[in-house]
Order: sequence, then structure tokens, then C-alpha cells
Amino acid sequence: MFRHSLSRTITAVTIIGLFLSACASPATPAPTPTPTQPKPIVLTDGLKRTISLPTPAKRVVSMAPSNTEILFAIGAGSQVVGRDEFSDYPVEAKSLPSVGGSYGKYNMEAIVNLQPDLVLATEINTKEQVKTLEDLGLTVYLLPNPTDFDGMYQYLMTVAQLTGHETQASSLIERLKTRVKAVQNKILPLSSRPSVFYELDSTDPNAPYTSGPGTFVNLIIDMAGGFNIGNKLSSPWAQISLEELVVQNPAIILLGDSAYGVSVESVATRTGWSALDAVKNKRVYAFDDNLVSRPGPRLVDGLEQMAKLIHPEVFQ
Amino acid sequence: MRNSFRPYLLNILLLVLAVLLSIAIGAVLIPPGTLVRMLLTKFPGISISANWPETFNVIVYQIRLPHTALVLLTGAALAGSGAAYQGLFRNPLADPYLIGVASGAGLGAVLAMALRWPGTLGGLFSIPAAAFIGALVTVGIVYLMTYSRGAIPNTTLILAGVAVGSFASALTSYLMLQSQGELHRALAWLLGGANMSGWEPVLAALPYVILSLCILAISGHALNVLQFGEEQAQQLGISVQRVKFLLILAATLATAAAISFSGIIGFIGLIVPHLIRILWGPDYRRLISLSILAGASLLLLADLLARVILAPQELPVGIITALAGGPFFLWVLRRSQRNSA
Amino acid sequence: MSNQDILNIQSLTVTYGSHTAIRDVNLSIRKGEILALIGPNGAGKTTLIRAVSGVIHPQAGEISLSGKNLVDFSPARRAKYLSVVPQARNLPEAFTVRQTVLLGRTPYLGWLGQPSSSDHEHVTWALERTETLSLADRRIGELSGGEQQRVLLARALAQQTPIMLLDEPTAHLDLHHQARLLNLVRELTREQGLAVLMALHDLNLVAIYADRVALLVNGQLSFLGTPNEVLTPSRLSEAYQLQLNVVPHPEYGTPLILPDGLRP
Repeated sequence: MFRHSLSRTITAVTIIGLFLSACASPATPAPTPTPTQPKPIVLTDGLKRTISLPTPAKRVVSMAPSNTEILFAIGAGSQVVGRDEFSDYPVEAKSLPSVGGSYGKYNMEAIVNLQPDLVLATEINTKEQVKTLEDLGLTVYLLPNPTDFDGMYQYLMTVAQLTGHETQASSLIERLKTRVKAVQNKILPLSSRPSVFYELDSTDPNAPYTSGPGTFVNLIIDMAGGFNIGNKLSSPWAQISLEELVVQNPAIILLGDSAYGVSVESVATRTGWSALDAVKNKRVYAFDDNLVSRPGPRLVDGLEQMAKLIHPEVFQ
Repeated sequence: MRNSFRPYLLNILLLVLAVLLSIAIGAVLIPPGTLVRMLLTKFPGISISANWPETFNVIVYQIRLPHTALVLLTGAALAGSGAAYQGLFRNPLADPYLIGVASGAGLGAVLAMALRWPGTLGGLFSIPAAAFIGALVTVGIVYLMTYSRGAIPNTTLILAGVAVGSFASALTSYLMLQSQGELHRALAWLLGGANMSGWEPVLAALPYVILSLCILAISGHALNVLQFGEEQAQQLGISVQRVKFLLILAATLATAAAISFSGIIGFIGLIVPHLIRILWGPDYRRLISLSILAGASLLLLADLLARVILAPQELPVGIITALAGGPFFLWVLRRSQRNSA
Repeated sequence: MSNQDILNIQSLTVTYGSHTAIRDVNLSIRKGEILALIGPNGAGKTTLIRAVSGVIHPQAGEISLSGKNLVDFSPARRAKYLSVVPQARNLPEAFTVRQTVLLGRTPYLGWLGQPSSSDHEHVTWALERTETLSLADRRIGELSGGEQQRVLLARALAQQTPIMLLDEPTAHLDLHHQARLLNLVRELTREQGLAVLMALHDLNLVAIYADRVALLVNGQLSFLGTPNEVLTPSRLSEAYQLQLNVVPHPEYGTPLILPDGLRP
């Protein structure tokens, strides 16, 4: 008899419970007037993840020199609170605290301590590093590497959206495009296309490293009216034998490794190099590799300088 | 026999000190008083109102503590395995990488990176897992190549290890050059810089390291007997080939687990056993367990140095161990020359 | 087979690759007896000892201990019956004498190797008998060849086995230590009924100390018998390919072997 009444109680409670929960689930919320809020920024990053920021980022840590250059160029410099060891442009960036980056190691403590609301990474950063930062509660946006100038403009705009500088970025992009067009206009009517050897590393002067196809160096040499002899090699960062170099006989040699102490004069002293036209005609030039290897607005500077060196006849 | 506790006491104290320093020191200055309160608060029954910034919590509990734990496990694994190998091969130059475990791990990791594993952030364990498997497979191949009529002669084992290891290294270099997109990641991994952080690596490596080190630590007597040569050891009643298999298995598991998450750190496995031997004698019953303790402490101290010497830039700890290890090793050589002269 | 036989070797054949080191050897070792193993270099003496101690596997034949086939014994079990005194070479220098002799107790220690007081007693006894107690805390690397050899004998004694195999134990000893060591072995054989198989190169010592002699030539057992029976000019000349004389020892009456063909 007790069991009978117990089961009835349970049934009753269950039915009441179901009824209440059915009433409790909201069908449609009653519309309430909400103040206009800024829409969150939602973008897909280089790792195909959807990143959303409620408002433009105010405290950004940059994990690569190219990101730092982009941030400052679009006017977000005052929002950068930390940068990697190698960020050296513009000069204001150098006074910002460093978060590491040599040997591929970043100081996670330092990054956390800066309390950023956005960490801007690049393809140089490993997935493990991105995950570590996310596990520590930070928002990470990985900016992919562009493959051409249009890509670079697009990523300028991306960073601008993340930091709230769309207007400035737009006008920057316009100015950059104008400069590029100016170079192209001068190059287009020219008939000569001198061959160029862009040296990345000459530790072994019998087999120096150069930029191959698919690199910005390759693209910029082409846009500057030259022909990159590294274009024929099989990978973006490849060795060329001295023999092949002699056969190709470039008209111009650009020392992308001049920052590591390789001087113009030293090239002529290398065995076998004095036979090259570029050396004979004294068309060996030092070149700031940062202008063509960092995927940011200074690529345009790189294009202009490259064009001046390759076709001095049309650039004064 | 009372002084037989002293070395253990010393080493445990050193380890505790090293752990505390490792947690206390980093790029961000956390006052010691705050740190003590932060640690105490985690004990059940003690509650302290948190008057420190939230970032400190992240730094101590999610960065420093798990990092300390991983370095501790790695130092213990490398030194313990190194001591075991020095005993097994009766060679003071032996280290845990002698028969190919490091080359195999490197190959596994780089292969996984070259194949663009994982696709997503969620699968990042595949790299250390690939390294671990690569290490085990490589040592397994070396072992099978050496096995002949029930015996695995030491010289053959070492030669096979050198051969297979060189082959694996060559393959690794080739893969790194071919997959340029992953080149910097592979380099960072090999140097020990691309580690996953947090507690997951610690929990993953822990069972292998603990189990294997326990096996090695209790195998001291067998190693003592082996010092008289395998023939005499067999005549004294040791099942030599079985013991060798067990020791190689345990050392390989511990080392592979450690380097899969910490990268390939040198010199600890070579030097710590020597230090212990010089200080407290060649009895392997003590040598292994003392090496385990000292290896953990010394790697923690080296790691500390790596983190602060160029702060905020962190050096890979392998550079510190090599810089300290080289001169120390020369000193050991000079000392042993003087003793034997 | 007498009931004093403790170890029986039947039709034993051991090959290294294509080379046959010992072929079809039949031998038995008795309690309380020293069986000396003689023969020219390369005759197979060391191989025989290694095969009996279990470190190499014979291609054919059987070794049985009191009727049980040794092949079924694990190394630990075998080590309770058979101990070996090898030549004192390449010993790990840092071990002390006491630590070394303690390793002789391995078959009785667990995996951890922790000795009991009984183990220590056996070690002390072994040190006393071999007169190495005063060296107990010295490192074996610091000892002379003779001292090291006695330490290895002490280790075998500590192993407490009914059978002991010795491989040229007098090889690097001076006359004084040769005599002392062999005297000790004989004492132990008489006292404790030890069964000893000993490879010896000095035939005159064999004549004095051995109860029986096994002559091995080219891996085969050429003759087995008492010293008087085996150490004859004809047998020895053939085995050693050298002319020699055998005369009675002036003091002991045992055979005294004098090589001929020497030119002072």
C-alpha cells in the first residue's frame, strides 16, 4: 500500500516537473529595446578559425616584424604594447617591450603580463605557440603571408579592422597603389629586362642561396623590370651553383645578406666571381632584405628601390 | 650505513630548492611573499584572499608550474637513462641517445610536420606522438638488427645504433629541406623550443617516465654485476639478455617520452651520472636513483639560467647544457687521467 | 659413473661458426676431487669451461648435474651449483674488494641485491680463507694481479657452490701466489668436498695438485686418468709437439716434466 502511494507521488511530481520545464523554456524572448552597440569584429584567420573581438583591439602584441610594421603604418602604433625581438621598424617599435622570438622561443609570461586583448601572429609562429597562447586565455589572430601585392593590401585592411583604423588603412592602400602604378608606368615601355641575382646567403660562395619562384623577391624583381635568375630553381629558398651562376651571368647582383656584413667589395674577391658581368660592370649593390621579405607596406619601398637599381636610366 | 642516507637527503633538498627557484623566477617579477601565498592557497583548508593580479595566476599555474614539472621529468629521465646505459655498455661515454632514440624522435616529429599534421590545433599531440613512435621504432629496428642467436652484443648494438641513427638524421635533414614551410618549426622542435605548454604534455609523459625510472632505479644490482662483463654476470646468475632487454626498453621509453615533449637536450644524460659517480661511488643501486634526482635538479637549474640570462628572450635549454657540459666533460677527462696516471 | 660424480659431460660438441672448438668430449667431475684440464693453446680448455658454466650453448651433447640436464637451469639456478674463477683481467677498478666478493652472493640475493647478515658472513668467511680480509675496503683497481685473482676466488667461494671451475688461475701469478692459491683450492676440496675443474698450463703444478687429469688436444679428449697415467713422455710429446723427459719429483715422487730440445 505504501508502495502504491509512493509511485503515485512520483508520477505526479514527474508530470508537474515536465509541465514546469515546458513552461520555462523560452519560445521567443519578448523584444526589448536595446541601445545600439558596436558590432563585434568577426574575421577568419590564417588557421581558418573564426576570431571575434567585441571592440577594436586596444592592446596588441605583435609576434613578427611584418606585423609591427603594418600596425604602425595604419596608425595603430599606440595600441601596440609588446613586440617580438626582431621588430626594428619603425624606430618607435624598438622602445616597446620585447617578448622574445629568437630560436623560435617566445616568452609566454611576458606576453601574458602585458595583458593584450589581441596577439597578432604570422605563419612564422607554430601552431603549438598559438595553442599555448589561447590556452592562457588570449585571443590570437594569425595573419597569413600574402603572395602578391593585392594580398598585402587585403591584410593591411584586416589588421585595420582588428584595430579600428579602416579609414587610415584605406588611404594608405591608395597611396601605395599610386606608387606601384608609378613604377609600373615607367617600366612598361622598356624593352630591356636585365637579369638579376639576389643573394640571400653566401656562406659557401660556390653555392650561394637565392630566392626562387613564389617569393616576393621574385615578384618584385619582375615588377621592377628585371629577371630573377633564381626563378628557374625548384624551391623558394634554393642554392645555385657557381657554375650555373657563371652560365646565367647576371647583369646585376643584389646583396640581400648585406645586413650580415657581406660587403660589395668582398664579392669581387670571391674565386670565380670576378668573371661575372655584374662584377665587371660594378653593378653589385647592397640591398635591405627587410624591404622584400617582410610582407607589409614597405614592400612598395622595396619595389621602388629595386626599380632604381635595375633601371637607373628612368629613375633619377 | 647511516651515511647512505646523506646523498639522498642532499639531492632531495637540492631538488626542492630547484623546483622553488624555477617557480619563483621568470621574466615577470613575482614577489616571493606573494608566491608563497599563491602556492599555500591551493592546499585544502587554507584560504587566502587573492590580492594579486589575475595574470599572476596564469603565469604561475599555467606557465611556470607545468613547465617546472616537465623539465623535472625530462632531467630525471635523461639522467636515469644515461646512468643505466653507462652501466649497460660499461662505457663512460654512453648517453641515452646512444642507440638511436633521439634521431628516431626527430625523424618522427619532422615527418609528421612535413605531412602537415595536424590539420587543426586540436590535434597537436600528433607531433610528440609521432616523435615517440619514431623513437621506439628506431630503437626497435636497431635491436632487431643486432639480435643474433639469443644475444645482443654491445658493440654490434652501438654500431647499429650509429648506422640507423645517421640514416634517420639524414632523412630528417632531407625532409626539413623539402618542406620549407615547416623548416623553422622543425628546427625549433629539434632545439627544444616548439614545445606544447601547459599540463597536457606533463600528464602524457608522466606514466612512461615514472614507470621506466622505477624499473631502472631498482635494477642497480644487476648493473653492478654487469660491470664485470656479461660472461661473468651470466656465471653469477644474471639472465643477461633478459636484463639488457628490460633496461633498454625502460631507458628508451623514459627518454622517448621526455624528448618528445622537451626536444633533444644533450649532456644531462652524459654528465649527471659521472658527477654522482665521482661524489658517491659506482654502486648502481645508488647511482641510478641519485642520478634521477640530480638530473631533475640540474636541468631545472639550467632551464632557469636559459630563461633569465637574456630575459625576456628565452634560450633553448640545450644550449646551456652544451655550454656547461663541454667544459665540465673536459674537466672529468683531465681528472680521470690524473687519477690513472 | 661413480656415486661421487656430480657433473657429467656427455658427447659435448661446441662450434664457433665453422670451426669446431671441442668435439665429442666425455668427462665427469667428482666431489672432493681436482680435475685438471691440460692441453696446448687453442685445445679448447676455455671453451669447455665456458660451455659448462652456461655462457655458450653446445651444438651437441649434454651436461647434467646429479642427473638433471643443465640446459633446463636458469642462470640463477645454475649459479647456485657452479661458480667460475676467471682470469683477473679488465675488472671494474672502482669496486672495492668487499663489494666484489659480495657479488658472489648474487644467486641468493633478490633483484634489489640487498644482502642479509648471513650474506655478509659468507663474504667475511671467503675473505678470510683467501687471506684478503685486510684488503676488504681497497679498490680492486689498486691491487696486484695476484691479489685480484684471490679476490675472484673469494667471490667464487662466497657463491657457495658444490662445483667450481677455474680458468688458468695461476696465469699471472708469481711462484709464491701460485702455490698459495693452489694450496687453498686443495684445502677447500678436501674440507668441503668441492668438485673442481681447473685449466692449468703448468704441468708440474698439475702433477702435484691434480687428482685426475684430462688432456685436450684439438678439441678432443685425448686421455683421462691419474697424473701418473697422463703425464707420460709419449702422451705429452704428441700433445705438445715437443720432446720431453719425465722424472720422479725428488720430494713428492710425482711426475716432473722437463722439456727437451732447449739449448742453453
